[in-house]
Amino acid sequence: MAVGWDRWLLEYNTRRTFLRRAGFTTLAVGAGPTLLAACGDDDDDGGGGGTTAAEGPAKAPSASGRVDFLSWEGYDIPDPLKPWKTENGVKVKATYIGNHDEIQTKLKAGGAGAGYDIITYYQGYKPLYQELDILEPLDEQKLPNLKNLFPYFASKEGNFWIDPDGTRTGVPWTWGSIGITIDTRRVKSMPTSWHDLLEPEFKGRVAIPDDPVGAFSLAAHIQGSDPSMTTKDDGEKVFDFLSQVAAQSTGVSPSFGDATTKMTAGDADICYQGWAAMNEFAAAEGVNSFETEVPKEGSFSFCDAYALPAGADNVDTALAWMNESMDPTVNAEAAVVLVGGVTVADAVKELPKNIASLYAYEDLDALLERSPFYNNPPIESDEFVTFEEVQKRWQEIKAEAGS
Amino acid sequence: MRVGPLALTAPAAVGLLLFFVAPLVAFGVYSFLTGGLYEVEAPLTLENYKEVAETDSNRTLARNSLVVGLLAATFSVLIALPMAYWLRYSAGRWRGLVLFLIVASFLASYLVRIYAWRSMLGRNGAINRGLESLGLIDEPLDFLLYNRFAVTVALVHIFLPYVVLVLYAGLAPLQPSYLETAQDLGAGRLQRWRRVVLPLVAAPAVSAFLFVFVLSAADYVTPQLLGGTSGVMLGVQIQVAFIGTGDFAYGAALAFAMLAGFLVCYALIALGLRLTKLDRVRFVS
Repeated sequence: MAVGWDRWLLEYNTRRTFLRRAGFTTLAVGAGPTLLAACGDDDDDGGGGGTTAAEGPAKAPSASGRVDFLSWEGYDIPDPLKPWKTENGVKVKATYIGNHDEIQTKLKAGGAGAGYDIITYYQGYKPLYQELDILEPLDEQKLPNLKNLFPYFASKEGNFWIDPDGTRTGVPWTWGSIGITIDTRRVKSMPTSWHDLLEPEFKGRVAIPDDPVGAFSLAAHIQGSDPSMTTKDDGEKVFDFLSQVAAQSTGVSPSFGDATTKMTAGDADICYQGWAAMNEFAAAEGVNSFETEVPKEGSFSFCDAYALPAGADNVDTALAWMNESMDPTVNAEAAVVLVGGVTVADAVKELPKNIASLYAYEDLDALLERSPFYNNPPIESDEFVTFEEVQKRWQEIKAEAGS
Repeated sequence: MRVGPLALTAPAAVGLLLFFVAPLVAFGVYSFLTGGLYEVEAPLTLENYKEVAETDSNRTLARNSLVVGLLAATFSVLIALPMAYWLRYSAGRWRGLVLFLIVASFLASYLVRIYAWRSMLGRNGAINRGLESLGLIDEPLDFLLYNRFAVTVALVHIFLPYVVLVLYAGLAPLQPSYLETAQDLGAGRLQRWRRVVLPLVAAPAVSAFLFVFVLSAADYVTPQLLGGTSGVMLGVQIQVAFIGTGDFAYGAALAFAMLAGFLVCYALIALGLRLTKLDRVRFVS
């Protein structure tokens, strides 16, 4: 579960620009995933093919030995990868995090690689991870399943997974969009706007996950800003909105799971920065009354990618793992386990109805137009609100909300 | 062969030096360096401490930490003292069982206990349901959860067994004959407590108080799960500095500022004991 997954930056291309370039705007609603995938194969903008005539066909490397994994619990997708692990005798030593920032903290505190072979990163962290020299280039010749990706995820859009020079740094394999999540036992109609959360009826009833950059990104989007390029002046409006939302809550939950528990227990009715997966989390607790929708202002989306940290010592097995994650069956099973989106076009038809209906795969471009992938706020800037400012202001907002 | 005190304490001393003193010194140095992104660098500076002092939210969170720490420590000692007294002098055959139950409570996970309090104090929790079924309230009480009260209740529950054991051990040398002698000399129940028990138990009670105060004020898990908007504490800010923003220098300065605050509290309490001459009260055999 991407609890606390945060967001993004670097060489910004607007989603609209990408869609124009890739010719996606001509896709009709209802055009299936297969058509999207077909478009992807011809995408000269991306590095997704992983095959060139000069280099010959791509081939997954042999996998063996132990893989040291560092990421969220569940992101090692134990069950979907079980056949592959059994077939290749691969053992996984997993270290789970409680916050995305633990990844860079562990890697930087532990020296090069810190003994890990595979990590994940949320697309907004790409610039930070590059700044910290965490990401190793991936050899696309060893990732033949890159051809399976939806065109968007195979593209260089935002340079989230592929550098401007074509160097691949990540394999996107799971994603999702943020929305308003309500418990229909107590909220009878779905709010149509994020601003509805500020209504008196929701005083003390709003759940908020403790995800500073996510909270800021959403507030920036609602205020009409790109979170990676929110000017200091606009930032004040964004922080003001966040303060108002925080004042509506009983407190900030340390995780999405905790926010869900708070709602199922009746201590909150509605979630700022909700997530379709919360519906399933609640259902697992025996509560089937959760609904999640994206309001009229839209929201933002998040995508997590597998990556190779500097100093990894079982590189081939890590690459084979990444390649396997783009197998349609494995990708679909991972989506079921994580209640997320698939990045592989042919995985959609393998999804059960409740998971397939989470996101409109038949019109992915429209979905991502309303809820784009953003970069995180910049690490340093005199003009824009920075990553550090967001973290610090969020703590202030939390402290002020109760004073 | 006779083993000297140096040899006996050497393993613990080496462990403390390696895993406590050395990291503490390293963080102390960090706090005077310039913070980079997940690293520290020269030159030496006092800027981190200046920022700690000038940030408004730090003052709010420090106040929350102080209040919660004091409340948790005070209530823990006040509740534990009669329990320890009863265990020492009146429990009789129940003593073994009650001591076992106190020790057994350590087996329950810290998080399980926190979530148990959520299910007790929440809108649909046991307390609200109970009061509603008795007809005492029409609407659930919202003030029970997600505030300092909830944090304090959980922390008292978590630390109470430690305090009971410390005070029970503190009372162990106080023979019943002391109290009988005081009674023979005309001291009433209250006077025996005030003039015999409390002076003799003051030192362990203060130790237990400081133990709970420091751990409660520095806690960052309980406030996140039970504290709501009014229960956020300084420990969370330190966590954010180290993990969220990667500003190790600022995080270290914040941690050392908190440590300095604890030392001031310790000094004040030690001074109070000295002024009241309670630090000189000793058991005599």
